[in-house]
Amino acid sequence: MDIFVTLVHGLNLAAIYGLMAIGISLLWSSIGMINMAHGATFAVSGYAAWFMADLMKPVLLAAFGKGFVGTAAMAGITLTTGAAMGALFGALIYALAFLPIHDKPNFPVRSLIVTLAINLATVQLLLWYFGPKQKNLPKIFGTGKLDLGPLSARYDQIGAIVATAAILGLVLTWLRVSRKGLEIRAMMQNPEGAVLSGISVRWTALPVTMLTGALAGLAAVLLSQTIFVSPTSGTMPLIKGLTIALLGGLGSVPGAVAGAVIIGFLEAIVGAVPFLGQRYVLFATFVFIITVLILRPRGIGGLLDEARK
Amino acid sequence: MTEKKFYEIGQRPSEVILHPAGDAPLHRRRLPFTRRHWFKWRSRLNAKTLEQERMLADKRPLWWALGLLALALAAPFLSNPMLTIAAIFCIFSAINVLWTLIIGTAGIFSLATLAIVGIGAYVSAALNVYLGLPWPLMFVAGGLAGLVIGGFLALPSTRLDGLYYALLTMGFAEICRVFVQQLKPLGPQNGSINNVASFIPSDWQLQRPGLLLGFAGAFVILLLALLTFRVVNSERLGMLLQTAREDEAFAEATGIDYRRARLHVFLISSAGLGVIGAFYAQFYGSISPQVFSLDQLMLLFAMIVIGGLGRSEGAVIGTAIVVLIDKGFLNLGPIRILLVAAIMLGVTLFLHNGLAGAREQFRGWRRRKQSEARARRTEKGGEVMPEEAIEIADKQEIYYRRFQKRLRDRLKALITPELIEEHRQNPLGHHSDALSRVLNHFRRAEVADKYAIMRQPEAFHAYKIVAFSGTRGAPPRLVDDRTYHDINEAYHAVFLLRVNDLMEA
Repeated sequence: MDIFVTLVHGLNLAAIYGLMAIGISLLWSSIGMINMAHGATFAVSGYAAWFMADLMKPVLLAAFGKGFVGTAAMAGITLTTGAAMGALFGALIYALAFLPIHDKPNFPVRSLIVTLAINLATVQLLLWYFGPKQKNLPKIFGTGKLDLGPLSARYDQIGAIVATAAILGLVLTWLRVSRKGLEIRAMMQNPEGAVLSGISVRWTALPVTMLTGALAGLAAVLLSQTIFVSPTSGTMPLIKGLTIALLGGLGSVPGAVAGAVIIGFLEAIVGAVPFLGQRYVLFATFVFIITVLILRPRGIGGLLDEARK
Repeated sequence: MTEKKFYEIGQRPSEVILHPAGDAPLHRRRLPFTRRHWFKWRSRLNAKTLEQERMLADKRPLWWALGLLALALAAPFLSNPMLTIAAIFCIFSAINVLWTLIIGTAGIFSLATLAIVGIGAYVSAALNVYLGLPWPLMFVAGGLAGLVIGGFLALPSTRLDGLYYALLTMGFAEICRVFVQQLKPLGPQNGSINNVASFIPSDWQLQRPGLLLGFAGAFVILLLALLTFRVVNSERLGMLLQTAREDEAFAEATGIDYRRARLHVFLISSAGLGVIGAFYAQFYGSISPQVFSLDQLMLLFAMIVIGGLGRSEGAVIGTAIVVLIDKGFLNLGPIRILLVAAIMLGVTLFLHNGLAGAREQFRGWRRRKQSEARARRTEKGGEVMPEEAIEIADKQEIYYRRFQKRLRDRLKALITPELIEEHRQNPLGHHSDALSRVLNHFRRAEVADKYAIMRQPEAFHAYKIVAFSGTRGAPPRLVDDRTYHDINEAYHAVFLLRVNDLMEA
């Protein structure tokens, strides 16, 4: 086994899981909703990106040719479509699972159930409309390999890692500097206090759901460089994102990042060890998470356990 | 003696009410070996008819008995596919009832239900197939396996809260699935164990008698699960946990070890789930890793969510709906799951606690609407409405208010500008018939808020209008600041005030 291949693979996985986990974690800490429809957002955005790419392919080929510009335009279009569709789906989740019941009794459990139902329905609709056949997205980072001494990485891996780092940086900066970000952070620290100082729950929740949806959409486009788009392709990222968000401690963004890195490397290593192999990846992940949770019941970060219960 | 027919007023005019002899002592039979009564009877004396009345305060046992009886009686007449669906319904209901015990009564958000069922099934099936354990002992083996796994899973349940524990148990199910699929001896059959001995004789398999026997077995399992639920949830353990649900600190202060009680409930349910697992393996004659899958778990979760978390009737109703859609309309294809999702969505958006809580929610809503409407009416008329009438103990009051209302209506019709003009010109008499009637009504008014004329000390002909407080010792209050210098003018001012009050009443 090549240690550097494993390293790059681990970073790649960590990047994509991180996008999912931070979405789930943000949503929980700001509006107290566990979004089980995150996987559906993932799948829908993947399909939207595929559809758009299919539609625009001849146009772009005619306009820019097959060179670097064409690939860049294609990348722009797929990424934008994925993110936009994710944000739209996030708005749908907001309209169905947050708006009607956010001030009613049992909101956390009921929103979880509603998002679960949305997930079930979306997967079935996709299966019904597009069929179980897998689609593959255009290679937006091109195909090929980059060799840097002993390090060698495929373009899509590098692209995913760099793009994720950039997106996460942007999101975190936006949360830190913008007015809306301030409101969201206030909501995370003390929901009641935020409401008392004039922050509207409804108008804060909408950008959060749309933002997390867009993150899931970007994750879909980035992950689809390695795997295919299919109706059930959202299930695994959802479970991974959820477990990492919980492992990092729900509501803690640094915890989620740490969890994503740990799990990403763990999976890469377990997958690369000869006598364990790819079949034991999930097994190893869950054994690890169970051990961590028994040692640290609120996860690695676990900072908001008192505020949100 | 002839029965007098009364108007049917009140909330439930059609409720069945027994009329036992007034001097007959109350006999209530108890469940054998317990101190519980079979039914919850309520007795009361009807103050109007002076009769003893007795009614069933809790009719749920009746509905349960009727529903289960209908299922048992209908089973022999069902077609073969429907009979299988009924049997599957019974098995899943039993699982869900025990799961409800874990989630509702113990308050542990465990998703390892199907994992425990699967482990019970695998252990008992393996013992049967590889070691030749006879089928009656499989139930014991399954129960023991469930108990051991339950004990293992219960350890972290007090340390972790809600979602973290749910994740842990979900991970446990996944580990079970991978573990079983990787087992070397099961490799050729893709992780499943086949040819498990069964309580159904092998030559009856998939025949009508075999299906009937299978249904009977599943029905017995359901009854046992319901009995377990009843015994655990509404006896000592359930009562302890009820206290803990309302206030954990209080429960601890009164010496209730609720963590221990939760563990006990979890262990009991796990053992029961293990037994159901053994039954599951026998019913199908095989067991496959499919039982650990996430999809199956989600479907099961949909069942208890549609029914309502934490109630046995909810678990059974939800299971009936989902099983009927999922297995009954196989020709619909993927729309089945869409339908289940749509029901789930609708139920969760509109109901606070599933279908089982719908009745209570509806009653609450109706009560609110009724009280709103009542407030509106009382504000307007002053006459007592039927719903309000049953809440007034002194029935004289109702007739008094009705009389007053009619009288006021009659007098209002008499008030005309001519009448007022007549009073202005001649406040002290002689009056016409209409004016006498109006004035007589005013004179009979209650002392509280009755108007009076008070002579002012500064001048002999200076009057102000006051209103009596109605309580002894409390001084009258001044109605307005205006001073009248003519007594007749003051009389007329009082008259106008009263007319005004009458028209507004």
